[in-house]
Amino acid sequence: MAIRVNPGLIEELVHFGAEDVQYCYHCGDCSANCPHSDEVFRFPRKWMRTLQMGLERKLETALEPWLCYYCGQCSEQCPREADPGETMMSLRRWLISRYDFTGVARLFYTSRQAEIWTIIAIALLTGIGFLWYGLSFGNIHVYDGDGAFLPSSFIHTFDLTLGSLLALVLLINAFRMWYLTLHNERVVPIPWWLYIKRIYLIPWHFFTQKRYAECESKRSTHIFMPWIIHLFLMLGYVIMLVLVMAFIEQLQLGPAIFWPVHVFGYAATIGLLIGTIYFIQNRAIRNRQIQYKKSHSTDWVFVILLCIIVVTGILQHLLHRTGFLAAANITYVIHLMAVVPWLFRMPFSKWAHLVYRPLAMYFADILRDAIKIQEKKEQLIPGLAIG
Amino acid sequence: MRIGVYLCQVDVEKNLNLDAIAKYSANLPEVELVRSLGVKPKLNPLELCRELKTNRIQRVIIAGDMPGYYKPVFTKAMAMAGYNPHEVRLASFREHGAAGHDSNDRAKAIVACATRGVPFALAAVPKETPVGHATLIIGGGVAGIQAALEIADAGKQVYLVERTGTIGGHMAMFDKTFPTLDCAACILTPKMVSIAQHDMIDLMTRSEVESVSGVPGAYHVKIRQHARFVDIDACVACDICSGVCPVKVPSEFDAGLSMRKAIYIPFPQAVPNAYLIDPASCTYIQTDGEKCGVCAKKCPKECIDLHQQDTITEVDVGNIIIATGYDVLDAKKLEQYGYGIYPNVFTALEFERMTNASGSTGGKIVTKTKVQNKRTKEDEWVLLPDGVAPKSVAIIHCVGSRNKKYNAYCSRVCCMYSLKFAHLVREKVPNVECYEFYIDMRAFGKGYEEFAERIKSEGTFVVRGRSATVEMHGDQMIVNGEDIIHDKVLEFPVDMVVLAIGLIPAPGTVELSNMLGLSRDADGWFSELDYNGNPTDTERGGIFVAGMCQAPKDIPDTVAQASAVAAGVLRTITSGKGIGHLSSLTLSEIEQRAQQIHTE
Repeated sequence: MAIRVNPGLIEELVHFGAEDVQYCYHCGDCSANCPHSDEVFRFPRKWMRTLQMGLERKLETALEPWLCYYCGQCSEQCPREADPGETMMSLRRWLISRYDFTGVARLFYTSRQAEIWTIIAIALLTGIGFLWYGLSFGNIHVYDGDGAFLPSSFIHTFDLTLGSLLALVLLINAFRMWYLTLHNERVVPIPWWLYIKRIYLIPWHFFTQKRYAECESKRSTHIFMPWIIHLFLMLGYVIMLVLVMAFIEQLQLGPAIFWPVHVFGYAATIGLLIGTIYFIQNRAIRNRQIQYKKSHSTDWVFVILLCIIVVTGILQHLLHRTGFLAAANITYVIHLMAVVPWLFRMPFSKWAHLVYRPLAMYFADILRDAIKIQEKKEQLIPGLAIG
Repeated sequence: MRIGVYLCQVDVEKNLNLDAIAKYSANLPEVELVRSLGVKPKLNPLELCRELKTNRIQRVIIAGDMPGYYKPVFTKAMAMAGYNPHEVRLASFREHGAAGHDSNDRAKAIVACATRGVPFALAAVPKETPVGHATLIIGGGVAGIQAALEIADAGKQVYLVERTGTIGGHMAMFDKTFPTLDCAACILTPKMVSIAQHDMIDLMTRSEVESVSGVPGAYHVKIRQHARFVDIDACVACDICSGVCPVKVPSEFDAGLSMRKAIYIPFPQAVPNAYLIDPASCTYIQTDGEKCGVCAKKCPKECIDLHQQDTITEVDVGNIIIATGYDVLDAKKLEQYGYGIYPNVFTALEFERMTNASGSTGGKIVTKTKVQNKRTKEDEWVLLPDGVAPKSVAIIHCVGSRNKKYNAYCSRVCCMYSLKFAHLVREKVPNVECYEFYIDMRAFGKGYEEFAERIKSEGTFVVRGRSATVEMHGDQMIVNGEDIIHDKVLEFPVDMVVLAIGLIPAPGTVELSNMLGLSRDADGWFSELDYNGNPTDTERGGIFVAGMCQAPKDIPDTVAQASAVAAGVLRTITSGKGIGHLSSLTLSEIEQRAQQIHTE
């Protein structure tokens, strides 16, 4: 069946950051240079073409953008300066907006104004809400225990509610991703047991971000800093998320914080701090590495919020420890004013990578296996089943 | 008529002496009032009106840069004073070229014309200069040769200036021409010999243009003839001197594939057919005569003079033709292709020399052989006639061309010569696989598309997708690339890689363009006057461009343009009318002419 072209797609992608796609003249340098491009999943050039042609339906089904970790080798060597790496990044943003059934991601990516005002609104609502709650039911001079300004049990309930709501949105989006990439555009039949056989890939890729390290394989330097930093940031974030979601009550305790919580809390803070500093350093001092040359406005919102969270988090902890309880409580409210919009943005922004990337690797491996099975069944020459 | 002259400037022009112009204006007939208003004056129509009335000014001249800016104020003032508001005339300095040095006289003339109510362009018509019959041609490649022969055959004197020791240029290095696969030397060498034998052609090799002065139709040119150290007329090219010379350096003519001596002849068919000494590598010249000098002792004709000095020749010519040609991009810049790292990666020019019967392998296509250098005891890769023939050859198109990091433009000849290479490889080496990696196949000329189809039908593998990298896997060279049509990333094991390297303007193009006052385009090539209507003239009269120096083009186009240039030169000579230049007119001449038109 023919695929309907959408000539406006390339213009639309400009909002997501892909500005130079039209320059591509298909020499194939990028695909041949890419350490991740393989027999089944070939990119970036193929997807530059799909974009130029405006094949929206085909783009929706693409797993390839998730397999790219933007090492920037393609953009470095591109003779046309068409920036294939940035195009893949933009495609990831576009795909996030496609998977998202609420339409919030699309709004955030295409309108900076809408994003900033939404964040400010949520932050103000959060601030007012918590202040009202604290002033009505608690004492500003008490940080934890009875009569606390913001009792940990209350925060815990709040966290869990917000968390499950967002998790639900993410789950639905992930389902939509599966539907678009594996179900809707079925290249080969996929046996059900493959899903179970390969399930270990999700946690494996989630915790190691191993493929990012593979970006290294074609470079001359051996220590690939972006991967390590990325891992630090990601693990810091996950640990912090677990702590906040499950152990907030222990975390907020007075002098008697359970020691593993303490250790993990500090570790996560360090991870987040390193990641944030690296991020700001690279994006503020441009042209260090090609992948940091262009920043989408949503990237900056993310890093600014993260910065506020890290700083207020540390400050609040310090104030609490040194006994300035009222100040600690106020800082806590500011901290929450950043945390809530940040959490709210999660399913609609770059942090959704955390979910989609491992899923994409998982789906990609399933597809690879399914193709192999099909080839064996039909006794085809390897590579022919996928045309 | 009573005239008022107002001098005003919108910008400070340091080359203009406004006081002198004001003094000059005051002495012009009928001028009653001269006022200097300075830079960016704020004018009040009422005050102006009063001034015009008291002086009974009937015509106002606004003189300066962009005087039209103040025209409405003066029109208003004239109307308020009750005079004819249409008698406000502009004397626009910058518009008529009164900027830069020597602009004062021009400015004065502009004011003089305006006071007489005569448009400057009508009064200032330059006289046609008489055109000298001799022509200078810079560059002795195929373009220079063709133009020289055309003009000389018409009976006019030609000075052909060539930087190297022989004429012939790049075409002399080639083996075959596309698409006819004619032997390049068979076309070129007869022309080269004609140059040497022609009565009307004064050939100056090892020469460079040092300065050019004068006006179109009458250029005075200084040419520095570098010492050749060998008497051209006496030398019989017996090769005894080269045999005894102990110095070995890479041969420029052989694209560095073979070695030549410090005293050498670029190639056996060189014109002039005489040896020359490269002073940069000659031991005798480098040591100020302390060592060596053996060639001069052995020469049976005693035609070697190791103490020869450069000579300056001055010639007067009517026209100048630039035919400086091109150079190739340094392939080492494109690290991904491994040129200079892997022994069997060649540039197109090197491959031309290898496949040429006069090259170091005698026209055999072979891979390099590892030999031990006797002096340094190190292994090095050299091209020997008995080397191993490649089993597969990759030819990569668009290396450095159509690439924003190097040349944004298409070099225009690479597709076709790469196809020619594929043919030559398959013709000369049995059982060889040949891959062409291309992005877009540009076969635009007469018979080119047919040639491309012929090469494909001969069994050359044509891969859509310029390969990305060349790597060594053990002893095997691997070309990595994407086959766009099949949408697969592929590896090609090959023994030899030929890079169709992009073309750049010849070295010295910048200096020459500065010397002649010519502009170059964004890519560095000489600009023609009009791309469609006048592709051979330049913005300076009497200077023409031919061949590659204007833009990359193939041999048929180069020869055609050279002939067209010859026609342009002969046109100016026969008509005797060169394009005159305004600078040849004096102030009094313009004044007189303005007065003449005024009285008529």
